[in-house]
Amino acid sequence: MNIYITGIGVISAIGLNVQENYQSLKNKKTGIAPIHLLNYKEKLLVGEVKLSNEMLVNHLHVATPISRTSLLGIVAAKEAWGNNQHHQDIRTGLISSTSVGGMDNSEKYYQQKLENPTPDISLITTHDSGDTTERIAKELGISGYINTLSTACSSSANAIMLGARMLQQNKLDRVLIGGSDSLTNFTIEGFKSLMIYSDEWVKPFDEHRKGLNLGEGSGFLLLENEKSISLTKNKPLAILCGWSNAADAYHQTASSPDGKGATLAIQQALKKANLKPSDISYINAHGTGTSNNDLSESVALKNVFKENIPPFSSTKAYTGHTLAASGTIEAVYAVLALQHQIILPNLNYSTPISETMLIPEVEWKINQEINTVLSNSFGFGGNNSTIILKKA
Amino acid sequence: MYYINACSTISHQGSFQNESWINELKIVTNNSKLITPNYKEFVDAADLRRMSKIIRMGIACSKDCIQQAEIDNPDAIIVGTGLGCLTDTEKFLHNTLTIEGLIPPTAFIQSTHNTIAGQISLALKNHQYNMTHTQNSLSFEHALMDGMLCLDEEKDTVLVGSADENIALMDELSKSFNWSEIENKLTSGASFFIVSNAKNNLTKVQLIDCFTVGLNDTNPKALITSFLAKNNLSLNDIDLVLFNSNGTLKLDIIQKEFNPISVLSYEHFCGYYFTNVAFGMHLATEILNKKKTSFITNNKPVHRILLYNNFNNKNIGLTLLQALEA
Repeated sequence: MNIYITGIGVISAIGLNVQENYQSLKNKKTGIAPIHLLNYKEKLLVGEVKLSNEMLVNHLHVATPISRTSLLGIVAAKEAWGNNQHHQDIRTGLISSTSVGGMDNSEKYYQQKLENPTPDISLITTHDSGDTTERIAKELGISGYINTLSTACSSSANAIMLGARMLQQNKLDRVLIGGSDSLTNFTIEGFKSLMIYSDEWVKPFDEHRKGLNLGEGSGFLLLENEKSISLTKNKPLAILCGWSNAADAYHQTASSPDGKGATLAIQQALKKANLKPSDISYINAHGTGTSNNDLSESVALKNVFKENIPPFSSTKAYTGHTLAASGTIEAVYAVLALQHQIILPNLNYSTPISETMLIPEVEWKINQEINTVLSNSFGFGGNNSTIILKKA
Repeated sequence: MYYINACSTISHQGSFQNESWINELKIVTNNSKLITPNYKEFVDAADLRRMSKIIRMGIACSKDCIQQAEIDNPDAIIVGTGLGCLTDTEKFLHNTLTIEGLIPPTAFIQSTHNTIAGQISLALKNHQYNMTHTQNSLSFEHALMDGMLCLDEEKDTVLVGSADENIALMDELSKSFNWSEIENKLTSGASFFIVSNAKNNLTKVQLIDCFTVGLNDTNPKALITSFLAKNNLSLNDIDLVLFNSNGTLKLDIIQKEFNPISVLSYEHFCGYYFTNVAFGMHLATEILNKKKTSFITNNKPVHRILLYNNFNNKNIGLTLLQALEA
């Protein structure tokens, strides 16, 4: 049974919709810049969405308080949903994912609480991650199966996978899946405390990489089964054909040096898609720009693809690492690669990692034969996920 | 077919590694304490020091389940949590706002929701599917439904559970919000299960189905009827409805709603936390497995229990369990 991708939506540091993201990718225009909107003590490099909360609330006409995570999610979810209608014969669900949930509001509440005896407690009501998703569901009039996954940086790749499984097991006919995370002081301080926040531009897969730059945003995709598209008449943009999640079981935050979990995830996704490693046309790597991830991921790529590693790149130098949203933002980019037969460039790269000597694609390449795209997402807790998309 | 082959719960009851706990049920009061095991039996002392309550509970229940089910390692680890690792989240948040300069990373590392499932995979050296669901009061059901999907795919035995921890800030907030509908103590708890597609001599009950409706706008009774009909059953086939009551008002409504079926609130026995329905599932399993009739009108035999999660009005969870001989 085919799982069709019939809608895509994205908001990130490089654009407020799919078209703007596509143009920025093509023009090699990064969205990473010194902090502008978030109230943070230093001018760190971040991938901010260039709209304030007030602008988003006014644009979307939603009630407050609402977390920025929900606001970004609503923008991308609405774009992916498009003009689709609810239909009594199409069982429709929503699976979103987030790592911070409403932390953007919670940290404001907590700051107020430290300073004054009557903080605005309405700010804490958006804390729970499930609430973030319910706000998105409400905007789209979806009720029924509404779920949120939270597995750190692999969250939304897992939402894609769960959505596909729900369709394949005939639990739903159509499912909007996505991920959303907003920038917060909490996460910035977190990655700084781990000493993996780069004070320079992120350089995925480069020997001299110094860590990640955080970003924010949301990506959503609409998945449908045969029955659903026979009723909606939607034209498939791509087909989701492989997925897998495996645990590294090595360390709470670090990836194993032998790339065990990542290797398993890639191998099992290929098996699920019934594809050989040589069938993969392009890999959108996780490539966060941390010393540990990029090495471990390179080792995993070598484990699976041996000497014939397909063209690969990380788009983190455009968007920053958008954590839970990265899986679906990059899945949208994978759809673009299939639709336009392109390979996306890996910015800021100059020198191969000495241990593995892998060289990512650094140019925007058109007229490529892209039949399949493999996309990796790896998270804390050794949570490794891979999805594979193919041409519709 | 799905079967529950092991259960493990840490709660206000002496439920952990105690076969007869349902004979000694006590109502949770403001003074009752969580009854916790000696965690050193489950976690290395050096690791234990760093771990918050929610992670300790998760690991202890998981290891206990695996021991009970006599399996080496499950084919998947799936956890539901309503609010995740609150202790570490609050600790790191506090540190970011009060410490100038370098902040220790441990609380941040352990603040993500999937720390529980991740730490279980580390403790078991398990490389399989590892997932964390967080949909407030439906987090456990969504983990369970994911486990059932796994069993319908290629997996045979899955570890499914949920954990939530209370922190002082929650008590403070509940007062500020004047959450008058909450009568039971805000607390912590964890329940884990081994669910399998095969029955063996350790199997406790059969899990028939699980279903959720988020942002529900339909009459719950109609949802229940259609859920049962989907499983070729009707309300007459149900011997006991276990539900989530925070107050006597709700109890009256539920009693009238399901009359003449017996009803029982599980929340009185475990307190208030987002995923307390998992405690309800363990309780239901024991009632069916031990043929405990004291909760049923006229002490009739109990074959099927409907677990009706009405923790909040907008999100409804339905889980159906059946005794093995039924």
